[in-house]
Amino acid sequence: MKVFILTVLAFLLGIDNVSTKMFRRPLLIAPIVGIILGNLQAGLIIGATLEVMWMGIGDVGAYMAPDIITGTMISTSLAIMGNTSGNISTMVATAITLAVPTSILAQQLLVLIETINCSLNGWAKRLADNADVKGTFWLTWPPAFLYGFACAFPTFLALQFGAGAIQQAINDLPKFIINGLSTAGSIIPSVGIALLMMTMLKKGELWMFIILGFVLSSYLKLDILPITLIALVFAFLYERATREPSAKAQVSPSTQLNNSSSDEEDDEEDYDL
Amino acid sequence: MSEEKLTAPEHKLNNRDIWRMFMRLNTMRITLNYETLQGVGFMRAIAPALAKIYPDKKDLSEAMKRHLVFYNSHVNFDAVILGLSAAMEETTTPDEKDGINPLKTGLMGPLAGLGDSLIKFTWLPIVGSIGASIAFGGSIFGPILMFILYNVINMGARYYAVSFGYKKGIDFLNNNEQNDVIQRISTMANVVGLMVVGALISTVIKVKTPLKIVVHSNVSNKVGGNVISLQTMFDKIMPGLLSLLVTVLVYYILKKTNGKHAAMLIIAMMVVVVGLTYFKIL
Repeated sequence: MKVFILTVLAFLLGIDNVSTKMFRRPLLIAPIVGIILGNLQAGLIIGATLEVMWMGIGDVGAYMAPDIITGTMISTSLAIMGNTSGNISTMVATAITLAVPTSILAQQLLVLIETINCSLNGWAKRLADNADVKGTFWLTWPPAFLYGFACAFPTFLALQFGAGAIQQAINDLPKFIINGLSTAGSIIPSVGIALLMMTMLKKGELWMFIILGFVLSSYLKLDILPITLIALVFAFLYERATREPSAKAQVSPSTQLNNSSSDEEDDEEDYDL
Repeated sequence: MSEEKLTAPEHKLNNRDIWRMFMRLNTMRITLNYETLQGVGFMRAIAPALAKIYPDKKDLSEAMKRHLVFYNSHVNFDAVILGLSAAMEETTTPDEKDGINPLKTGLMGPLAGLGDSLIKFTWLPIVGSIGASIAFGGSIFGPILMFILYNVINMGARYYAVSFGYKKGIDFLNNNEQNDVIQRISTMANVVGLMVVGALISTVIKVKTPLKIVVHSNVSNKVGGNVISLQTMFDKIMPGLLSLLVTVLVYYILKKTNGKHAAMLIIAMMVVVVGLTYFKIL
């Protein structure tokens, strides 16, 4: 029964991923899986770990990223179903190990659908020839079903036939491998963070904001929310300080004000002006 | 094209039509294919507006075919282009229709880049990390907060942008000062994102080593008298030093390979970490 509910959920999430995009992150999916399987805590921790791990992942242009929806569904469900002992760190280790291969396999299905979708062009052309606006309504239904199926089918197969195998594997594997994977779970998020850094570090001087955020968190032990608010202030100052000279004269008095008020900004002025 | 027409209060499309375009915009990505990418979806999304603008069936057919071409951008900015295209279809004379597709094509690239950097690489990571840091503490409030924050922008901006693109789109693009605003917001978002990333390095990544160094004490001449934990030493230099080093290392590896092999890197890291755990280094 739980497998059936999860399969239906996967079907809906598969469609949401390519349309409204409201639930397309691990942290939003894994807790729902956790609630369905009666272990919300595990769902939350797994979701948060996968969220950070896949943080910089997203399809850019025509490049198709690993299917994190199916990956999250399968890995979270199997990790919770396969661990009867209730040890959350083992569950997280299992989930991370499963998330990577499942999301890459499921990605191939999405590529297949986008190839099948080419046939929509002919259909749309015929509708356009006949000026059939009402008919265009149906264009999205067949591919929507395909996308839902592409997420639901692997989930069903994995849950129906995989849970036992996972449980067996966890029991049989040497303890150091499970421990190692569990440790890996707290190191692998560095990949997601590094991917983000790649897209965001457009200039060398921007490194200092990484340092600032790191210091506020590691030495001063601030939470993410206060750091975001402090970051807003620095973002405002940095933007003022580096604004293009063409953007009118009214900038100069405020820039000078910044000069006296912040040491961080002084450094950047040296590079920029 | 005349701007008076656009800013004039009477538009052919009312709020209900904009709502219909918004609803169809939501399902646009479903028809993505390798031939025209989102061309089919764009035609489908703009079709209700075209039906209202062109009562004549032959014109309507022409207009639908005009939008059935290669198209791809970022979903939240598809909304602006969609509204803008509808406004252009409505205001241009038959001779000017050729200008619509070049405008679409010219906008989709830059706007896709802006959408990716604002939403995918700034807003989503910020709300994701706020949500994750709460969820690590075991509270359901984390994902709920993330869902609300993410979708206020994701859905809200999308609806607003269709209407904005339709009513003000052309003015907006012609006005350089406004374009400057986009650039400024983008810079600020970048800084906020980077500081959050810096904070994440120390909160999310946990690298600890159980290695210990046995120091011979010369005074008492006893072996094993002083055991110094390497981790304590690292913590004294800088809390989270190892996390920072690992992240910087991963960053340079990814940068060398252009980020295409992230999945391979994750698998490689698993193998390495399991190996290191076996030798009791991690």
